[in-house]
Amino acid sequence: MNRALRRISIAVLVMFVLLLINVNYLQGFQTASLASKPGNSRAFYAAQNQYQRGNIVTSDGVTIATSVLSGSPNDSIKYQRKYPHGPEYAAVTGAETIFSNTGIEASQNSLLSGNDSALDVRKIIDLITGKTTKGATVELTINSKAQTAAYDALRATGKPGAAVAIDPKTGAILALASYPSYDPNELAIHDGTQLNKVDKQLLTDKAQPLLNRALQGTYPPGSTFKIVTSSALLTQSPNTTINTRLDSPTDLTLPQTAHVLHNDQGEVCGDGSGQAPLITAFAQSCDTTFGKIGMQIGANALNDMAQKFGMNDANLNIPLPVAKSNYVIPPSLALTAFSAIGQFSDTVTPLQEAMFAAAIANGGTLMKPYLVKQVMASDLSTVQSTGQSVLSQPVSASVAGSVGQMMRAAVQDSDGTAFAFNAQAEGGLVIAGKTGTAETGTVNLNDAAFTSFAPYGNPNIAVGVIIQGGGYGASAAAPIAVQVIKAYQSAVGNQ
Amino acid sequence: MSSVTAPSPAVDPTGPLLPVARSRRRTELIMLVFAFALIVFAMANVGFSLKGRLPSGVAEYLVAYFVIIGAAHLAMRRFAPWADPLLLPLATLLNGLGIVMMYRLSAQANPATGHPAISASQANLQIAFSAIGVGGFVAVLALIREPRVLQRYTYTLGAVGIFLFALPALLPASISEVNGAKIQIRFGSFTTIQPEEFAKLALAAAFAGYLVAKRDVLALAGRRVLGLDLPRARDLGPILLAWAASLLLLVFESDIGTSAVFMGLFVAMLYIATSRTSWLLIGFLMFLVGALTASKLVGHVGERFDIWLHPFTQANVENNSYQLVQGLYGMGSGGLLGKGLGGGQPYITPLVQSDLVFTAFGEEIGLAGVMAILLIYGLMVQRGLRTAMSVKDPFSKLLAGGLSFMLALQVFVIVGGVTRLIPLTGITTPLLSQGGSSLVGTWVLIGLLARISDAARRPPPRPIQDEGLTQVVTLK
Repeated sequence: MNRALRRISIAVLVMFVLLLINVNYLQGFQTASLASKPGNSRAFYAAQNQYQRGNIVTSDGVTIATSVLSGSPNDSIKYQRKYPHGPEYAAVTGAETIFSNTGIEASQNSLLSGNDSALDVRKIIDLITGKTTKGATVELTINSKAQTAAYDALRATGKPGAAVAIDPKTGAILALASYPSYDPNELAIHDGTQLNKVDKQLLTDKAQPLLNRALQGTYPPGSTFKIVTSSALLTQSPNTTINTRLDSPTDLTLPQTAHVLHNDQGEVCGDGSGQAPLITAFAQSCDTTFGKIGMQIGANALNDMAQKFGMNDANLNIPLPVAKSNYVIPPSLALTAFSAIGQFSDTVTPLQEAMFAAAIANGGTLMKPYLVKQVMASDLSTVQSTGQSVLSQPVSASVAGSVGQMMRAAVQDSDGTAFAFNAQAEGGLVIAGKTGTAETGTVNLNDAAFTSFAPYGNPNIAVGVIIQGGGYGASAAAPIAVQVIKAYQSAVGNQ
Repeated sequence: MSSVTAPSPAVDPTGPLLPVARSRRRTELIMLVFAFALIVFAMANVGFSLKGRLPSGVAEYLVAYFVIIGAAHLAMRRFAPWADPLLLPLATLLNGLGIVMMYRLSAQANPATGHPAISASQANLQIAFSAIGVGGFVAVLALIREPRVLQRYTYTLGAVGIFLFALPALLPASISEVNGAKIQIRFGSFTTIQPEEFAKLALAAAFAGYLVAKRDVLALAGRRVLGLDLPRARDLGPILLAWAASLLLLVFESDIGTSAVFMGLFVAMLYIATSRTSWLLIGFLMFLVGALTASKLVGHVGERFDIWLHPFTQANVENNSYQLVQGLYGMGSGGLLGKGLGGGQPYITPLVQSDLVFTAFGEEIGLAGVMAILLIYGLMVQRGLRTAMSVKDPFSKLLAGGLSFMLALQVFVIVGGVTRLIPLTGITTPLLSQGGSSLVGTWVLIGLLARISDAARRPPPRPIQDEGLTQVVTLK
């Protein structure tokens, strides 16, 4: 029997050797590959909580996200994320939760958490000098005054909407606000049960507070799209100027349909002669004029121009993902007329609204919008900084000058759609803009849009605003843009 | 029964003629102190890591465990003075580490659920079951003074074993079904008993008794085909019976792990008794056929294979293999040295307190720690097999060999399962995982091995010296 026992012993030995080899393989060689496997929350947790997370600050030095010692002895996580301004910056910062991150917290996570390879050298220095390693600080392009003005103005309307401000010369995003918003502090809690409760509540909230309307909401641009239509016209036919008289009937019967396109409230365009200069039709926002222009230049020309202004691009990252703004080539001439005035299937994000004005303000060159100015290590040395880059050149400088002039007229002319915000009314601030009111069926529930830049002579800010169900662009969206512009001008000392 | 009890080797009058027999009880005591020191250290480690200080209740835990183990050592001195000195310290260390882990799991809440993996009272139960287990160990030593007496109850033990095995399958699912397997009997809402943990021991003893009686006919009769000694058809009875029993386990109780351990135990004992390789092959093939058939018939078993082969597909990670991969992620995050006791997140893994307790150790004490644990198991099995080889009585030999192999197989099945060496089947990790039945059963197993090792190491009765021509021999 001992011979058999000896063989059994060998079998047992083999079994244990197999187990030992296997645990060595798992814990010695597979740790990295296991850490990258799906659903590994341990790896996420370990990366999140290794170091004190870096701050997120605005370009004018306001801290909008910071990590402090949680101070609770029962808390397994050492630091607590705080958002001192609550919902105001939620569309920008997002939130850091124990399960996953959103917004800048997600897009800059490796730098904020201190695990980015760009920080490796500094970590070694920290190790030698005995300093505690911290996550990097992310400095945004946001101006706190413009942001506060944007959020407060949106909140005052009480309606869902968003506002985005861009520096047209650089593409730096100066304000990015969405309303209704949420308080990221409520999501930064370490109690998972409570977090799930809060998260579920926010997800099922009919007001959709988690939706970042500035980047992820798409709405019909309405007449603000006439910037694209006129740009396409002026580019295609160099003989046309802003003073060229174009057909502007009161009623325009569309080909192959019984549908009649007419202006808002059936108003007469221009002097009622049936023809009006382009600049007048633009300032008064005559739908019949631009419907005809659209049919004349064709859907492909509109599509090309829309694309150059940044539409139909699903890959824009600022570095937050931006939803695609759509121009769909219509199947008929009649629908092309609608698409030329920002209806049919045209949809834009509030960011895209700002980009319309920004391209015009910057002499026809559209700068790539960006949100992160620079990333600094804990010793304040720069780890990364975002360089300015050109996204596209939708129009020539002269066409941009013409369109800008027309946008100025929409505000300056007494019969312009945004005359209420002329320089006299705004204490000398010279604004150029274009209103948009997209029909959604009910007049009072139309989506209101406004795209603008200022000061007219030397623009330093372009603002796009969309208010869902706001009514008229001039009355609902434009005041918000004007408040953002004013706040920014006073912040940079222009007024 | 011999009247010789632990003669002091120092005054052995036979001098150098006979090798000096030592009881090694002092070695055992030193090793126990060492094991206990490790447990104290581990417990303190958990406390400082989770609470930043020695938490309340730790002293009670340690004192209770100290008393339990002290009692075991005294029982060894009293009832089995010649027993192997390593068995008790090794079991003490593993059981103690299990208690530390239970305490650690109960002391930290999972942030996602707000609850710890087990409640404080469940952790306390582990201490209570340790006491009952050591009670069983002492009872074995006190009641079974000579291992051979068990041979008298071969058929009684066999009947008891089969009854215990079948019990959960016979009872309604409301009482016995847990996580898709019918292996437990529930008392009230809290306490459950897994009768199989005791059935295995009873059947091991019954097998040993049966095989000792029949080993000659099983070993010698039969024909030789292709260089293999095949047994006679009529001698296939017992192996068919064991096979049928293990298949019933699979089908009615959906418990492939225990079924494998049970079949392995029987085949190994048959092989030890007969030294006939054909039994190994027959047994192995029969189990394979049974398991494959069952995997087709019983969904629970087929699913286990799928999880094993494709654990990281998105669908599996979120559902069926969630438990396995979370255990693997835990071990992966532990790496070479682990996160430190109290430093990991074992609470993420479902059932980390029972089936997957090994991964919790992997996460917190790392590769170094789990290798040590595996070596402790290996050493325990090695002491058992060594006992089997050195004991003379064939019944004891078979029983010790079978029990040791069963222990090894159980460790292989569960540790191999959670580390994805083989498909994961839910059986307990001896001495480490939560569960009173397993703990008590393993302590009884250690008690049996200790008893047999006492018989193996006990020096033979010495003749009375200087008696002239007439020798007087002490009779039993």
